[in-house]
Amino acid sequence: MSPENDKVTRMIILGPKAQLSQSELLGKLHMLELPLTIKSTCYGAVIHGDDKIVQDAITKIRDLDPSNIFTKDRGFAPGDPRRCRAKRGAAREGFHQLEKEYELLEYVCDALKDPKKVSLEESKKISLDEFRKIVQECEK
Amino acid sequence: MKVAVFPPNSLILADMVERKGHEPLVIQKEIRQKVTDPEIDSPPFNITEEDPIKGLKYAAIEVPSGIRGRMAIFGPIIDEADAIIIMEDAPYGFGCIGCARTNELTMYFLRKKGVPILELHYPETREETMEMVNKINTFLDSLTESSKPNEEQRE
Repeated sequence: MSPENDKVTRMIILGPKAQLSQSELLGKLHMLELPLTIKSTCYGAVIHGDDKIVQDAITKIRDLDPSNIFTKDRGFAPGDPRRCRAKRGAAREGFHQLEKEYELLEYVCDALKDPKKVSLEESKKISLDEFRKIVQECEK
Repeated sequence: MKVAVFPPNSLILADMVERKGHEPLVIQKEIRQKVTDPEIDSPPFNITEEDPIKGLKYAAIEVPSGIRGRMAIFGPIIDEADAIIIMEDAPYGFGCIGCARTNELTMYFLRKKGVPILELHYPETREETMEMVNKINTFLDSLTESSKPNEEQRE
């Protein structure tokens, strides 16, 4: 097994309502003084390093703005020529998924700030008698 | 608990599972093993000859090798899942999740597994998204509660 197999890559994505910018995020990551490869991106940052150190960094960075900082695993290391946009000349495949889900992140942030308990059971159809009563009440 | 998410590269699902202290089973972890393996000459364009054979566990020999090759990557996710969250009608499917038949087969195996499962539709509006997030959180909380008595029993 190569030592690269022990390393992981995580994407840190800032939500639309995040209280910090990409450059601030990068500064905070550097201030952690952890042995990580850090790359600035349009959506936030990519960090690469040992699993435990990456998890540690993720926990500390998430604490800055818990409901607006999202993270996701990435298979390829930052700057990998097989996926890096600089070499391929187009967005990598996973970016399209990210771009689409980014549109919903604002609402996800709202839901995370104001969590509610909901029922997981599917709503049932009302009976005909009940429906008739509602119609009669509306007609009055 | 290990929670399989579908689409297996979803940011929202994987992040929410992790927030609640569970481990999301995502495709990137499987891909990482492939692309950092020195045995493969030019990953990820090539797969090893063993991959379609591993895929035979999930699909018959008549099934195209592309599906079997993909199933070799999806397989560990299916096998390890203690709970499942499926989000249907996700708008994009690239790379490993770009094959509709593999997706159907994976969802079939996940549904057949007999573990707690939450099925959702990809949200389009603010209300739908908020409802989806609340449903996922409620589901994940119920998993935590259901796993507690088991831990006590083991003690």
